[in-house]
Amino acid sequence: MPRKLIEVIGLIWTIVYAVAIIWVYATEPRTLREVATNTQIAAGVYEINQEKFNNGLELFRRDQFRAARDEWAGADPAQKDARTQFYIAYAFYREGWGRTYSDDALFKEGTAAVTRSISLAPNGSLSVDDPNLQIHTAAELKVELEEGTERSWSDLNPLGVFRKRK
Amino acid sequence: MKDYAERNRLVLHFIVLPSLLLTVVLLGGLRVDADTRQFVFLPPPLVTLLLAALLSSLFLRAGTIDLHRWLAIDQPLLTNLARLLTLLALFFASAQAFNSVLPESGLLHWMFSFFFLWTLWTNQFSAFDARRLLRSLIVLFATAFVLKHLLVSSLYGGDKGWLSRLAGSLLQGASISGPGFAPSTGYISFVALALYVCALLMMSPSAEGHTKSPMLNADLDVPKELPATSEQ
Repeated sequence: MPRKLIEVIGLIWTIVYAVAIIWVYATEPRTLREVATNTQIAAGVYEINQEKFNNGLELFRRDQFRAARDEWAGADPAQKDARTQFYIAYAFYREGWGRTYSDDALFKEGTAAVTRSISLAPNGSLSVDDPNLQIHTAAELKVELEEGTERSWSDLNPLGVFRKRK
Repeated sequence: MKDYAERNRLVLHFIVLPSLLLTVVLLGGLRVDADTRQFVFLPPPLVTLLLAALLSSLFLRAGTIDLHRWLAIDQPLLTNLARLLTLLALFFASAQAFNSVLPESGLLHWMFSFFFLWTLWTNQFSAFDARRLLRSLIVLFATAFVLKHLLVSSLYGGDKGWLSRLAGSLLQGASISGPGFAPSTGYISFVALALYVCALLMMSPSAEGHTKSPMLNADLDVPKELPATSEQ
């Protein structure tokens, strides 16, 4: 093997290894599984687990919101899929929604999830065509969640008990 | 036979040595959380970069690295580039080796840092050759490893033994506590330090008395004299 070839291989290997180390320290994976997931993302081949996503959807439709979120968290461990994050946010909304008051903690987590969803969506705009949902865009869902955590005089309106969950 | 030797030297120099050093860079800042068993990656603190700079200066003074032969104007650009990357890897591996044996926070972090700084600073004015420096470094890192991963970890441990109680009494009012890491952190640190020492052994001049490194500068026939060794 000629000297030049060994030097080229060594140089390329050193650069690739160094970049990989910088990437590991930048992304700070906590487990080996996370290392694998981050590698998939970096390589552009990351895909959600469709089976778990569908299981989550089934649970969501049966109002099993926590279980649905668990399934979706497993389907999208890196939180890199806009649609899954939208559904997670929706599950937080439906679980936290109440006729007289909303659960602020759940709504805040929902806001965080829908914000992730918007940031992941192409052009920051996401629309989900699901007939079982009454809110179809991430922007609408975000407004709904944010309004749920705000305090105003309209909260004291007794007619509020007639409003419907979306 | 000669071809094989030459080829193996080149592979060691341009592939194995950078790999070893970069593995030290990777493992030096890796910890495992005691509670969650999750990885924690700690980038090198500023003080370890200072320590690595002092150590690099020692490498140059002791002749472990002859900069004029590592990077020379009459060498191909590719060779110079590969060696420059190896030197960079050595610098960061040194920083991470220190990171590996420094307590992460609290009073002990600063005590260890001061200990390292003092040792490396005083060594700047001592007569060293490459082999003596290597022995000195092995002792330095081994001591720090034992102190951190055997003694200090027992202070951080869940069961408060006599050492922990004694340290608590002596250092009353001072924060000696730090984050709790799993015992596997010690094993990772051991591997990182062992690889670091292996890399230094590969870089240091051979033990037979002639000054040529066993693998580096294989293509250079100019003999290199070691600095005169003198007893301290």
